[in-house]
Amino acid sequence: MNELIALGFQLFMLVTAIAVVFQKNNFTVIILMSVYSLIAATLYMFNQAPDVAIAEVAINAAIIPLIYVIAISRQREIIVYDTLHHGDITPGKVFEGEIYTYLYTFSKKNKLRLNVCSDLEGDDATLIREMNVDFIITKEEETYVLKGKSHHMLMKKMVKELKQHPHIRTELIEEGHDLD
Amino acid sequence: MIRRIIGLSLLIGLFFFMVEAMNEFGVLYNDEARLYFQTNGFLETGSLNLVTGIYLDYRLLDTLFEAGILLVAVSGVSWIAQHDHIEHNPLFMLDRFKIPELFVSIARVLYPIVLLFGIYVVFNGHLAPGGGFQGGSILATALLILYYIDLNKKTNLTRIFFIEKVLYLLLLLISSLSFFTRGFLFTNVVSPDMGVAWQSVFLITLNVLIGAKVALGLTAIFIAFLKEGR
Repeated sequence: MNELIALGFQLFMLVTAIAVVFQKNNFTVIILMSVYSLIAATLYMFNQAPDVAIAEVAINAAIIPLIYVIAISRQREIIVYDTLHHGDITPGKVFEGEIYTYLYTFSKKNKLRLNVCSDLEGDDATLIREMNVDFIITKEEETYVLKGKSHHMLMKKMVKELKQHPHIRTELIEEGHDLD
Repeated sequence: MIRRIIGLSLLIGLFFFMVEAMNEFGVLYNDEARLYFQTNGFLETGSLNLVTGIYLDYRLLDTLFEAGILLVAVSGVSWIAQHDHIEHNPLFMLDRFKIPELFVSIARVLYPIVLLFGIYVVFNGHLAPGGGFQGGSILATALLILYYIDLNKKTNLTRIFFIEKVLYLLLLLISSLSFFTRGFLFTNVVSPDMGVAWQSVFLITLNVLIGAKVALGLTAIFIAFLKEGR
């Protein structure tokens, strides 16, 4: 009987492991991973290893999800530094520039929260490398300039999309290797 | 679709292969060491929980290296991640959109229970399943939950790093004291002739030291992650 229950748990564990691979939503992945380690802890108990089971529950089902939740809530925001001092972008407001409309639709399409700020100081390179700012908006005569990291995933998406917008130019900033 | 089916069938095949291997494992099992620990473990180490007896007596050197690895990991994180002397809870934790109300209210109820359970696991490491590492990580969970509840929390990170290093040095010192009392390094300070009660004092001391060190180390890593970025 015990062996059958253990086999059932192992099958359930396999199903959760496959679900982690195919799941798209990040928060669901975290919950599935902690479910996986809870099943693993149950299996440890079946094999008479309560010490290992306690360690598995405490680390893989409690601490690691907490750290992942923090990391993912960081991921859901794009920080834009606005040198033109236009303030925040709200849906009800009439936009003054093409770039704000574009950024708003982009963030809505990718389910990100847009955080526009204009109270930072420092040159572009240090802002992007050290302050974790994703994009910087400036203006040169009639065209807007959007600066961002060259390795940024969102930036690569934007460069593709912005070819249709003649009034917005993108500028890539190389990431520094100054720590080496 | 074909690739998925192939991958799935491979995984299921691997699963049954592993189940088969586990059945064979029972046949190949060599129980000489287990029998030795079962008959002599309690008398030699004074610990009812034989796992604690092994990692705090027979293999104390391994435990010291394990704690040392955690120390190196924490030092590496503190060197790479940018942090201040006194660290405030960051502003984005205020955002109720990201951290649900339900989580916060349940965490408020659970926090003292988790803390008490962690202390219990640390102190009962030689009697029941548990010990320094497990209890330390439970304590660290309790301390991390506090960051979701208390938004004005401040932490002196430099002090945490300092205390962790001092605890590691104390661990080294206490575990090498047996050289003066019993003649060889890294074992129980009290010899088995003096009784189980005196031996458990040593076990509890080491468990508390390891528990505090692990809890502080994991908390420090978490806080360093909180700060990283803006």
